[in-house]
Amino acid sequence: MRRTHSRLLTSAAVAASLALAFTGCSTSNFGGDDGGGGDAAEEGPVKIGAVLDITGVGANLGVPEQDTLNMLAEQLNEEGGIDGREVELIIKDNQSTEDGAAKATTQLIENDDVDLIIGASRTGPSLAMRPLVEAAQLPTISIAANAAIVEGSEWVFKTAQNDVVVIERILDDAESKGYTKVALARDATGFGEGIAEIITELGAERGIELTATESFEPSATDFTAQMTNLRSADADAVIIWGITPSAGLAQAAYVQIGVGKPVYQSHGVANAAFFEAAGDAAEGVIAPMGRLLVADQLQEDDPQKEVIDQFIADYTEAYDTAPSSFAGHAYDAWQIAVAAIQEAGTDPGELRDAIEATSDFVGISGVFTMTPENHSGLEADALILAIAEGGRWNLYEE
Amino acid sequence: MTDFLQLTAAGLSQGSVYALLAVGLIATYTVRHVVNIAQGDYAMLAGLGSISLVSAGVPLPVAILIALVTVTLASVLIERLVIARVKDLTTLVSIILTLGVSTLLQAIMLLVWGAEARRLPAFPGEDLLIGGVSIRSQELWMLGTLVVVGGGILLFYEKTRWGKALRASAEQPVAARIVGISPAAASVIAFAIAGFAGAAAGVVSSPIYLSIWSGGLLLGLKGFVAAVLGGLVSFRAAIVGALLLGMLESYVAGYVASGWKDAVAFFILIIVLIIRPAGLVLRPNAVRV
Amino acid sequence: MTLLEKTPGAVRSKTGFWPNNRSTIIGVAILAVIVIIVPFTATSSMMNIAVFSMIFALPAIGLSLLMGLAGQVSLGQAAFFAIGAYTHAILLQKFEVPGILAAVCGVLAAMLAALLVGLPMLRLRGHYLALATLGLGFIVMIAVREWEFTGRTTGIYGFGRPEVFGIPIDNNGLFFWFVAPFVIVGLVLALNLTRSRAGRALSAVNDSELAAESLGVNTYALRVKVFTLSAGFAGLGGVFYAYQVQIVSPQVAEFHVSVELLLMVVIGGLGSVWGAIAGAFIVELLSEGLRDLIPAIIPGATGEVQLIGYGIVLILVILLLPGGLYQAVRTVWAAIRRRSASRRVAAAAKVPDGTADAGTGDAPTRAFGGVPGEPAGPPAVADDEPIPSVPAISTPLAAGETILEVRGLTKRYGGVVAVDDVSFTVPAGRIMGLIGPNGAGKTTCFNMITGAIPPTSGTVSFLGEEVQGRKPHVGAVRGLTRTFQNLQVFTSTDVVGNVYMGRYRKGRAGIIRGMLGLQGREQYRNEEIAHDILDAMRLGDVAGLAAGDLPFGRQRMMEVCRALASEPALLLLDEPMAGLSGRERDMLANLLRALRDAGLTIVLVEHDVAQVLSLADSVAVLDDGVLIAHGDPESVRNDPAVIVAYLGTDAEEAKHELEELEEHA
Repeated sequence: MRRTHSRLLTSAAVAASLALAFTGCSTSNFGGDDGGGGDAAEEGPVKIGAVLDITGVGANLGVPEQDTLNMLAEQLNEEGGIDGREVELIIKDNQSTEDGAAKATTQLIENDDVDLIIGASRTGPSLAMRPLVEAAQLPTISIAANAAIVEGSEWVFKTAQNDVVVIERILDDAESKGYTKVALARDATGFGEGIAEIITELGAERGIELTATESFEPSATDFTAQMTNLRSADADAVIIWGITPSAGLAQAAYVQIGVGKPVYQSHGVANAAFFEAAGDAAEGVIAPMGRLLVADQLQEDDPQKEVIDQFIADYTEAYDTAPSSFAGHAYDAWQIAVAAIQEAGTDPGELRDAIEATSDFVGISGVFTMTPENHSGLEADALILAIAEGGRWNLYEE
Repeated sequence: MTDFLQLTAAGLSQGSVYALLAVGLIATYTVRHVVNIAQGDYAMLAGLGSISLVSAGVPLPVAILIALVTVTLASVLIERLVIARVKDLTTLVSIILTLGVSTLLQAIMLLVWGAEARRLPAFPGEDLLIGGVSIRSQELWMLGTLVVVGGGILLFYEKTRWGKALRASAEQPVAARIVGISPAAASVIAFAIAGFAGAAAGVVSSPIYLSIWSGGLLLGLKGFVAAVLGGLVSFRAAIVGALLLGMLESYVAGYVASGWKDAVAFFILIIVLIIRPAGLVLRPNAVRV
Repeated sequence: MTLLEKTPGAVRSKTGFWPNNRSTIIGVAILAVIVIIVPFTATSSMMNIAVFSMIFALPAIGLSLLMGLAGQVSLGQAAFFAIGAYTHAILLQKFEVPGILAAVCGVLAAMLAALLVGLPMLRLRGHYLALATLGLGFIVMIAVREWEFTGRTTGIYGFGRPEVFGIPIDNNGLFFWFVAPFVIVGLVLALNLTRSRAGRALSAVNDSELAAESLGVNTYALRVKVFTLSAGFAGLGGVFYAYQVQIVSPQVAEFHVSVELLLMVVIGGLGSVWGAIAGAFIVELLSEGLRDLIPAIIPGATGEVQLIGYGIVLILVILLLPGGLYQAVRTVWAAIRRRSASRRVAAAAKVPDGTADAGTGDAPTRAFGGVPGEPAGPPAVADDEPIPSVPAISTPLAAGETILEVRGLTKRYGGVVAVDDVSFTVPAGRIMGLIGPNGAGKTTCFNMITGAIPPTSGTVSFLGEEVQGRKPHVGAVRGLTRTFQNLQVFTSTDVVGNVYMGRYRKGRAGIIRGMLGLQGREQYRNEEIAHDILDAMRLGDVAGLAAGDLPFGRQRMMEVCRALASEPALLLLDEPMAGLSGRERDMLANLLRALRDAGLTIVLVEHDVAQVLSLADSVAVLDDGVLIAHGDPESVRNDPAVIVAYLGTDAEEAKHELEELEEHA
């Protein structure tokens, strides 16, 4: 009997707490007007969603990206928005997880009814978002690198330089120095997947052989085993492919263990955080990246110089620190999106076509020309080689 | 061969961290029958704390000393405020409680120091290169710390009256009382030892393995695996087990795949528990748990 | 291993799948109504929380059964959640299997994995098991992260949403309705299980594993089954998670998922199925709320800031409210009841004549089952009339045939020999007494015969089968039942619940029948028998009281009832007379004689030598682990070795015993 009553009361308590929790007026929990980002009204604010790696292993990327988007949205609204429509920016943190990216995307599509999504910061979460935005037919611009994000996709674009062109730049430099063997330590997540295969393929054309491949988690702090294996790989040079801080820590471990061979890194280390993680070990590392970090060393007639200088000035004024390449990727994604919305409005199909028609857009990471086949829009000339010297990146004279 | 020696060296230094944590775990387990899930968090707490002190301009040795004392006191505080307040400390309760403590410590570290991994400056010393094997001076510091702190705790337990009483209190609370240690005091001493050993592991490993709010759990669990190799009673066997575990992890990372490194400990744990729950202890009938 | 403090309460049998007691029906109905209404009223962010609460309620129910019912701590529930999710996602995405089939496979895969790891792991105890499950969680997480087939770090994605009758479940509202029926059915199954034969056995195991095993409960097998079942719930949760999130990546197997599940169970109250559902909602709300709140209080806080709440709640609940929400609700409810009852008393007291007594004396006592401090008035065992009816017993052998044979039984602890080469036989239908001074090895002998401890050497044959070194339930299911010198009472249930457990070996229903509620008739019959035995033994008046609240002597009688309820062939009584009043002793002696006459074999360890000599057909005497005499009472009484044994160890006691012997002679 006693148990009976208490169970009754338990049930009642559950019910009461539920009732309390769910009072509030209903917005549609059944998918809004159409169950997707769909044909949002051509009136009212323009809603742009962003899914970024603000916390977790990708925080070095996601935080400056978030800052950039906030700054640009504010600027745009001060100028009166897009065709008089206010722009509402909704940023979600995916905690650097694929899971989180998928959840955030679903929320942006279902609850917030956004017109376009920017993100994610890294390859893995971007890949996780892809089927969702495709099913919802929502234009999306990723700011991560791996070409797999946009390959064959109708709705997804990206603004970071393709891994293939980055590797081409590295291998070209290696070839010019007469290296014939390289070894690779790559990020174990989506960013590093397929890199070994590309190096093998592109290296063959240049007489360069990949002698060893190691991988590391972006959360790793101990790299002794990987670096030991690289040391015995008997290579002329080593490629470390990752993002900060892990790529910087790997760099430090590499130097500590005394391998002594030159190191190439990827565009994943194009920020100041790399120097914090690698310390003195960073000295002499060569990495392909956009022009942003060496803006002060660019030729006066460089077509990107004006855009880059303006961005650096705005960003530094707003946040008291210089922007990273990743901030630049976010800038490019934002500007391409805004230009396309100005052109085509927020009808998803038309907006998509407008992004795909982007041509000769001068951005931070390069000059973009999208086509139905090329949703990345950057060529090899978007990259320069930079060398780490005295705690910063300098233009590297090949 | 060079690779093998290199991996062995790395494994030994990593193993010395596990060993210190295992010593702490056994200290609390023998007295209170608590497997302290927060043991690894002591290490991270000490690491992060000393990093802050150093960056505030405190000299390294002083910073380390302060961190050691603070974390030792924190461990005692946890014992007094949380563990000691439970009358009937069953397995279920002790696991949930220390899990709660661990989660709380992690959250505090996250809020205070942020999400990024940080590094304490390396201790003074020159890195060595012996026959192609690179040995960082910090790794020698780590092994040295194990010898001094682990050996000191061992001596305390085996040579001093209090230490012996503490051991005895694991089996016979009455016996301990005869020597003049109340169960409460025994518990406090055990937690102090655990806090100190964990903190020592944390500061000495920070220059190589870094300190991060979330890093303690896995580290503590590996310490637990080492402790299980010692049957949860023998300090010596646990230290040997910890060094073996460190080496095995290093070999797996080097020769198999670095991603599987963290799984090694748990395979060992499950296999050992099923095949030989007494661990590496040679005479397993001493205390059965 | 003991559980968290649990208020004893009667668990009654039930039959049929759907709940048939008023409160559960009301509870389920309210839940169903909420489920229907919520999508229309909740804000979109609340809806999001509601959906994930429903998904996580499933593994939480499973964990609650495992921890509350089977008393096993698992820190790796996320592993099975992940296995279910991955299996489902891989089948959908790589093999394009129909959704229902993929979901079933997901659940089965989780259960299979649990069975495989549970078989070796559930032999582990306490901390070892908890940390082994934690290790398992890490292994699963690393395995899916490193394996090409599971999509490495990125995981499995791109498998689309489910469809029901052609309607795509592509929004939170529909998804909520999609999950909720499974949660409600899961809830009912779990509730049924807690009241089933298996569920009550598990709860008995938590009170006293030894006693439960001695009544025929195969603890290990039951635990493996519940572990597997719990993984099935987790796997189902994983299936829905995969559908909702649309990607399965290694994060689902991470430790913090296991911690969240554990937190749900702890908040809700261990073993409370309703609590698990409430806990799931609370944890999801807490998580979402803290993510907003903490950064507002502490600027710059990012990441998993909700952990601070988790840590504090875990510690505080365990320290202040170990029974969780369930206990809190009970306590509040009991307080309300008590107040209204006392008001009724006060009102009744105003009535001048004594008519109110009927309303206040007995009724509240019964309503509260076993509120401490409310033992019923002293039992009225006034007369010495013999036991009116003898409970049923088994008589597999004719009187005089050997039912138990002990050969060379020896137990050594290190260098100490507790029992040394003891041999004797017990003929069926007789009472044998086993006596000896303190520390002679009587109880050790008992423990080896029943399987509680393995002998160092020697054999024990019961009904011609060797049972030494096997678990107590092996002998118990064949009809070998015992009582304990140190009482082993099932404190989480009432007196009749204890005696009902004696019927365990006569029942057949397993976990599946229990969950489906297809065992009611069997249970009702066994409960009736338990009542009959209690009535026969004059314990009928306290049948509804919490077992732990009985006075010592009556607890002992209750244990005898419990043993008799199993219709034993051989009954081993370990000092049954200790703590009994003279009257109770006589009653028990009469009962034992009656049982013997009905054909039951009894072995009796007793301090009260006089009682033994007057009761037993044969007597064995142990001294210092050695059998020094064995024969009919008369010859043992005059055996000089026996007299010396008693004199030699404790002159005072021996003298006393001798005097008593004289008296009897």
